[in-house]
Amino acid sequence: MKEEFLKKWQMGLQIYRPLIDNTSVSERRKAIKLSADVAMASLRKGTTCWSRALIQKTATEDNFLVRQMLSGIKAETLINKKLPKVMCHRKIVRRSKKILRRRQSRSAIEEVAAKARKLVKKKTQGLRNVVPGGEFMSNDVLLIQETLDYIVSLQTQVNVMRSIVDAAEAGSERTAYYLGKLKFAIEDG
Amino acid sequence: MSGRRSRSRQVSGTSRISEEQINDLIIKLQQLLPELRDSRRSDKVSAARVLQETCNYIRNLHREVDDLSERLSELLANTDTAQAALIRSLLTL
Repeated sequence: MKEEFLKKWQMGLQIYRPLIDNTSVSERRKAIKLSADVAMASLRKGTTCWSRALIQKTATEDNFLVRQMLSGIKAETLINKKLPKVMCHRKIVRRSKKILRRRQSRSAIEEVAAKARKLVKKKTQGLRNVVPGGEFMSNDVLLIQETLDYIVSLQTQVNVMRSIVDAAEAGSERTAYYLGKLKFAIEDG
Repeated sequence: MSGRRSRSRQVSGTSRISEEQINDLIIKLQQLLPELRDSRRSDKVSAARVLQETCNYIRNLHREVDDLSERLSELLANTDTAQAALIRSLLTL
């Protein structure tokens, strides 16, 4: 996965190449980050919610880049595809939960369990704020599945970027050594 | 035997299944988190804690990506340094 990410990211950076030489540090940083994000998201080929949401979000910042990096019909559908409507109908669920609560009488143990569930609900809400497209995942199971995949992808993104920065900052006298080390690190997994 | 009782048992049955699913997923999350992955079997980590650490971890990863992008951008700033040349070759620019 690291190699694929690197290739896609390099492609994105090449699209930005004319910019990279002649802009400010912050413009360049933005270009680097956007291409890294699209590269990361595109690896999933539209199969996860978070990757579609991230592509759409990046498209609003730089439509051209996204189209170029995803060249093909897929790009159109990914960019324009409407994110799924809220999966479960909140009003109905709320109403049936209320009815259910009225029928159940709660023991102390059940109270504790209910409190724990409430806390978990609060924390999953926090997750929705950090996972792209999280606001559309009302199903907790889906949310956590997406989170698992998103974290793995983020780790890949960070590892590759870190390898490159470390190799560069280490110095040029030992170029060959670090190039080899980098290649090893990326192919390793 | 009464309709009401069996119905409520059915409903709590389904929510138990998804709770199991969620607990299973939360265990998987715990494996990914560097903070919690090595916890001893004796101290069980609560679901809420795992979710909280997950949020924190994701935020940290975001920060790291931003930081790395910034460093790369600065390294590329001087086109005539050896470092810049090295990065360019690594990124095939």
